[in-house]
Amino acid sequence: MTFKTRASTSTRMGGALIAGASLVAVAAGSISTAAAGVPVVKISVASLIPGSTAAATAAFNSQVKQFENANPGIEVTSVQYQWLGSTFAAKLAAGTLPTVFTVPFTDGRSLGENGQLADLTVYAKALPYFNKFNPAVIAEGIDAKGQVIAIPTASYAQALTYNRHLFSEAGLNPDDPPTTWAQLEADAKQISDKTGMAGYAEMGANDNTAGWILTTLDYALGGRMESGIGASAKATFDNPEAVQALDMLKKMRWTDDSMGSDFDWGWSDINQAFAAGQVGMFISGSDVYTNMVQSYNINPSIYGLAPIPLVNAPTAGVLGGGTLAAVSVKSTPAQVAAAVKWIDFYYMQPLVNEQQAVRNAKTLAANKQPIGTPEVPIFNQAQQNLSNSWIKPYINVPLNQMAPFTTAIFKDKIIPEPEAATQAVYGDLDSVVEAVLTNPNANPSALLAAANPVGQKSIESGS
Amino acid sequence: MSALQFRSKRARGPQETPRGIVSRADWNRRSVKYGLGTAHGALLVLLVVCGLGPILWLAKAAITPTQDTLVQPMSVFPHGLAWSNVSDAWTQVDIGLYLWNTIVIALGALIFQIIIASTGAFALSVLRPKWGRLITAALLTTLFVPSVVLLVPLYIEIVHPPLIGGTYVDSYWAIWLPEAASAFNVVLMKRFFDNLPRELFEAARVDGCGPVRLFLSIVLPMSKPILGVVSIFAVLGSWKDFLWPLLVLTDASKQPLSVRLPTIQGQTELGVFLAAMLIACLVPIIGFLLLQRWFLRGTGLSGAIKG
Amino acid sequence: MSTANLTKPKVRQREPAPATRASPVAARSAPFRRALLTWARRGGISRLLFLLPMLVVFAAFSWYPIVRLVLMSFQHTNLVQAPTWVGLQNFSEVLHDPLFPIAVRNTAEFAGLALIFGYPVPLVVAVLISEVRKRRRLYSALAYLPVVIPPVVAVLLWKFFYDAGPTGVFNTMLHWVGIGPQPWIQSEQAAMPSLVLESTWANAGGTVIIYLAALLGVNSELYEAASADGAGLWKKIWHVTLPQMRTILLVTMILQIIGTAQVFLEPYLFTSGGPDNATMTVLLLIYNYAFGNSLGGSYGEAAALSLMLVAFLAVFSLIYLRATRSWSRS
Repeated sequence: MTFKTRASTSTRMGGALIAGASLVAVAAGSISTAAAGVPVVKISVASLIPGSTAAATAAFNSQVKQFENANPGIEVTSVQYQWLGSTFAAKLAAGTLPTVFTVPFTDGRSLGENGQLADLTVYAKALPYFNKFNPAVIAEGIDAKGQVIAIPTASYAQALTYNRHLFSEAGLNPDDPPTTWAQLEADAKQISDKTGMAGYAEMGANDNTAGWILTTLDYALGGRMESGIGASAKATFDNPEAVQALDMLKKMRWTDDSMGSDFDWGWSDINQAFAAGQVGMFISGSDVYTNMVQSYNINPSIYGLAPIPLVNAPTAGVLGGGTLAAVSVKSTPAQVAAAVKWIDFYYMQPLVNEQQAVRNAKTLAANKQPIGTPEVPIFNQAQQNLSNSWIKPYINVPLNQMAPFTTAIFKDKIIPEPEAATQAVYGDLDSVVEAVLTNPNANPSALLAAANPVGQKSIESGS
Repeated sequence: MSALQFRSKRARGPQETPRGIVSRADWNRRSVKYGLGTAHGALLVLLVVCGLGPILWLAKAAITPTQDTLVQPMSVFPHGLAWSNVSDAWTQVDIGLYLWNTIVIALGALIFQIIIASTGAFALSVLRPKWGRLITAALLTTLFVPSVVLLVPLYIEIVHPPLIGGTYVDSYWAIWLPEAASAFNVVLMKRFFDNLPRELFEAARVDGCGPVRLFLSIVLPMSKPILGVVSIFAVLGSWKDFLWPLLVLTDASKQPLSVRLPTIQGQTELGVFLAAMLIACLVPIIGFLLLQRWFLRGTGLSGAIKG
Repeated sequence: MSTANLTKPKVRQREPAPATRASPVAARSAPFRRALLTWARRGGISRLLFLLPMLVVFAAFSWYPIVRLVLMSFQHTNLVQAPTWVGLQNFSEVLHDPLFPIAVRNTAEFAGLALIFGYPVPLVVAVLISEVRKRRRLYSALAYLPVVIPPVVAVLLWKFFYDAGPTGVFNTMLHWVGIGPQPWIQSEQAAMPSLVLESTWANAGGTVIIYLAALLGVNSELYEAASADGAGLWKKIWHVTLPQMRTILLVTMILQIIGTAQVFLEPYLFTSGGPDNATMTVLLLIYNYAFGNSLGGSYGEAAALSLMLVAFLAVFSLIYLRATRSWSRS
């Protein structure tokens, strides 16, 4: 189906809805008639996380304006949005999510299978680049019945973020981040000894992030937290590599004392502390630089990005993840069509259309927003290189400081997150990490063995 | 102890020598005078450090640059002041909006709680309907049900209201009305009304006064003390409320300060965040300083009720 | 207007039965209509009008949720489909949850610590304040000040105070007296006591004021009589003050136990139940059941645990009242 057909379909549907609306007061107010008799579809879209700078918000609003000018029949309201495990379910239940919202790869399919996301198949397949998606990436947005329930908008790999200034201050070469775990431990100790800051910080908050990073370490050592997929998956928390990862954390925490004194870091806190110069190294997504600019005004010269050290084993790999854009199941067909158009414009066009990519980059540059943060390709490497070349003149992130990551990531194997009950499994691992970091007598293998049946139960209960 | 009795006791004044545990003779003994005096002095110091200390620290930190607060939290302005924290809290964090939301919610809570409690207590105490005792008993049972435990069914009720449909998430009605179902307020007011002289009502009746006029022109004006207490607690309780507004108000632009502050902590610079926290405390603290008598009397009353 | 509005009607004036040959329906409805009119004339309408707001609000937001809670604990609810009855499954799930005994133990620890530290301290402070001769209001105001601070601000402030690095506020102060930096909420052992400390700070003031009011209400003649009998200060406190305050002391104790059993804010904001579930309380567990899963909550289990908590507190209160009744009476 071509773009033209899609447009006429939505116009026809719009006409029918207008007729209906003129008879009944439409409570949702989703369709209203403008003076010229052209139906206006109203959608709300997730914008930036609450607390973003005024400049970031201004950039987003400019993009909304561009979209509305190009699509006179659509009115967009932006809603501050942040996906948090604790609040998402409440908003979903109450129906207060914006029309277009984002969810991580971990939850997309489950939500789709529970009938809580709108079916986008018709509109998604109409997108000209639909068949060019990286098969592993688009699979995250397709449910068990083969329906497209979300469109992947970003893909990232876990990476090691490090503070170049602290490296120099500790006598380490900032262009030479650690490539083995032994080196990482030694560097962390050196940083904490020489600078007094936390050499290596690990997320330990009780909100699934602790389990997420532990899983990352496990994968980097060659282990897996689950075997099998779907309802027959089995929890394998007590794999030897996980014990190894925890032993390593235990050593850094209690023997080397190189992890600072705070151990309840969440995703935002650790970014904030890093931007404030209090952390030498930490593991998180490869895209955190954007958040650090948008929320904390980070000094760009301190930021360094390196690949996570991988052991020399065939199963060792980098945990991948990503974000999906989904549409509320309560939307009318016209709203779904408009929503997909927005997703296409805001998330996808900058990757596939040179003109749009440049325009997008100009808007971001005008508002001093980061352009060029390394991404893992959601199409393929060639497309990624192409879209990077379009925005090359506007790139304002210190790419050379991220070179260790960008050169290595193409060789490293990217592995998808544990497939069954991902968030719940991460949550079940949280307390294991916390115990190791706060209790000197913690026994990693016993803790993992105790957590395994809990994980198994989470997998079986399907949530 | 009713409000009237309580008032007359206080009327004796706190300044005169109390005829309490320590009698006049005791006070004249040196060991008591100096021992107790020292104890009082030590207590005063302790209260200032523990009660006032954290707030003074917050006020100081709110106008101190972030770096100083992080590195030398106990020193006083080593590198000067940072009024920008306060202005940033106002503009960047948009504290003004959340402060306004908090005020609106508190005022609504005040109005609804006064209306519901006073009309109900008036009916039970003065008009005495046939089922009055049953209703009072039903109210008292709710006093024994811990309110926090009703969160889940109340939440489901707000999300999918059974008879009226729609949803009341993100609506202030979902905050005001459940708060108004406070048996404590009703009991407090009923006790007060019970102690009003019945002769007054008889006289009014004889003059041909109907229940509405009785309520508005006689009972309410006489109830200023208890209305004051209920108002203070309604506003204070609403200002301090956290969990219920957290669940019900998912739209950031509708949230009050108590819900908003933890959410933005991860995105806000420390100095600015502390300034925001200070602004959030200012209204209750200033209100308390101005209206101390009401606060303290009210708390005493609530103790009497529980006794 | 009838004077019967204002007092309990002592005599119900019954209308004489109609001696008519009306049809059975009319015969039934006529007395009903007459009773209705009598009721209206006696001010029933205004009684109803005054009662209605309270009744509606309580019915909707107090009595109905209680009933709903009980029903929900036997159902499986997911807000998308209609609820289904599952019998005792929710209760069994809760009882078999490994976090359940942990939450119960932690809640008991919190309540216990709060009782040991938070119960006697306000009493001592109140007794001291009651004997202050000048500027008593200053003492009361200082004691009550922490109570007016919004709990969220108090917790976030104390969370900053509890920073475990050497430059944390409390650690700096400990350094002044030569004690090394403490982990506070970063340690499994110290997390719960840290929470109790903040909670005591924030709530003791209210209890002080309640005790103060009770202390000031003690009949001074009793003290005079005791002094005349030659009783010293301590004897007076033991034999006059405490017995006179017995009721309020007992009531405050049970109220404190009930209140601390429902602690939510401190564990939620300080540690989210960590580290390693050291501060996971029953209320936090209920919250996690209902709102902790990004894919949708187990409302039935949350309701079941809520019901179990209410039942426990009710039974506990009954036992407590029974046990202390002998003390109050004598």
